[in-house]
Amino acid sequence: MRIALYDEGADEALNIAEVAGYLAQLVGVETELRGSPFAPDLPAERVSDYARRIAQTKIREITKKSPPGQEPLPAEIEYEKRRILGRTKAFGVPYDGLKLQRLFCELIPGEELGPEFVHIIFTNRLFATWDEGDKRYHLRTSLYAVPCLISTSGLVEAPAKPREYYLAKQQYERLGKDPLELKERFRGSFLDYGDRRLTEVAKGYAMQAVFYALTGEPFCQDKGCRLYNAHWQEEMLFAQLGSEYEFCPRHAEVLRNWRENDAERGD
Amino acid sequence: MEKFSAAGEKDITRAIVSEFAKQFQEYVESDCIIIGAGPSGLMAGRNLARTGKKVLIVERNNYLGGGFWIGGYLMNKVTVRHPAERVLDELGIPYQAVSEGLFVADGPHACSKLIAAACDSGVKFANMTVFEDLVLREDGRVCGAVINWTPVAALPREITCVDPVAIESAIVIDATGHDAQVVKKLEERGLFQTKGYGAMWVERSEDLIIEHTGEVHPGLIVAGMAVSTTYGLPRMGPTFGAMLLSGEMAAEVAAEKLQERLTV
Repeated sequence: MRIALYDEGADEALNIAEVAGYLAQLVGVETELRGSPFAPDLPAERVSDYARRIAQTKIREITKKSPPGQEPLPAEIEYEKRRILGRTKAFGVPYDGLKLQRLFCELIPGEELGPEFVHIIFTNRLFATWDEGDKRYHLRTSLYAVPCLISTSGLVEAPAKPREYYLAKQQYERLGKDPLELKERFRGSFLDYGDRRLTEVAKGYAMQAVFYALTGEPFCQDKGCRLYNAHWQEEMLFAQLGSEYEFCPRHAEVLRNWRENDAERGD
Repeated sequence: MEKFSAAGEKDITRAIVSEFAKQFQEYVESDCIIIGAGPSGLMAGRNLARTGKKVLIVERNNYLGGGFWIGGYLMNKVTVRHPAERVLDELGIPYQAVSEGLFVADGPHACSKLIAAACDSGVKFANMTVFEDLVLREDGRVCGAVINWTPVAALPREITCVDPVAIESAIVIDATGHDAQVVKKLEERGLFQTKGYGAMWVERSEDLIIEHTGEVHPGLIVAGMAVSTTYGLPRMGPTFGAMLLSGEMAAEVAAEKLQERLTV
């Protein structure tokens, strides 16, 4: 197995090299830092084509499933071009995660699409997936497929903050006060942009990508396991930083077995 | 005590009427009409006029400055976040740092300096004037605005059946805030569709406002908070940096477009 890690405008607090080192040590495989998934010599017409198609995946309304082929405005395409070329990292609009993931799949070399490769793209783009159950989009931290996408902004925004935060935020909005002040009051209780804990948290999500490749299942029910699919910030911080163990006994064994078998295979 | 000169009421009235008429006549046609005299509109006007362009700002209120007089909660301190303090320096607005990258200034001082800077650079104003509609060329290009007096628009039609007038320009800038009134007029005509409200998860993204400031339709540039409505971007909070920088960007785009028209 080989793991390739990409940086598609991830939060600057994320140390991808440290994540790569962690994966190499824990999984015992070769890891590779590849920078942007967009080739630096991508011809201008392909940059324009990707820019238009990425802009088409933007979510317009969270309660309406985005129709295929919606036509973006010229400024939206220009913005995406600047992102592809690494000239801006501005973020804030959500994309349809599955459509975005399929688009990024085109950037992976064809010979590396097999199960012996794990591709992980770290991005600061927000993405969401449509839920037929309640007919709305839900923001996601990560998507596990080929390639896996992990959103540093999603780690901040997707798992819910403490209930008291939202109550206080409502009060602030009613008073016309800036809700950003609240971050000071609740500091530490949730992950924030530029947070020094981001790299450590991201390591657990990168391991979810690895387990998806190994077993087809990235998540664990154990709240203390790094593979726990947290819906609250508190749960996420506990699973990634607070738990006494990194992996539950079952997943620790899967990892141990895989490493032993891998050594026997001499890979 | 020195005595006031003997100019009578009629002289004063003539001075007002003739100077107003002279300016109005001159600005029936301009390089750029900006709708909205908030921070982004004033900044756009100031920078564009500094390049020698003829700029008219239409403002529905008597006062100029929009929300730049006060910050949140009716408190008259305004904040900007780095790198927008550069604009405060440029305009000579005193401010102080409250934390890393956050700066605060007196609203009245900041707003009056910005208005003065726009006036000093040559911007003219049509205040107490509402934007009613766009003027479009046959090819769909925006080429002016239909305007009326604010009091006329505020009264029942049976009392004040006063037709508006049209003024023309090569470029129009929508700086009407979240209402995006000019863009909405295009939408009413089926020439444009503003994007939805997908961006509700993030509190704000000032960077995205700047990134999307630009021409939305031939002849129409969008600036400030109107950008957020046009593209469905996160709203801005009560900090004004993005509005000032978006105004700067709108002026740059307008200058480019005006140049293109000269060279084509």
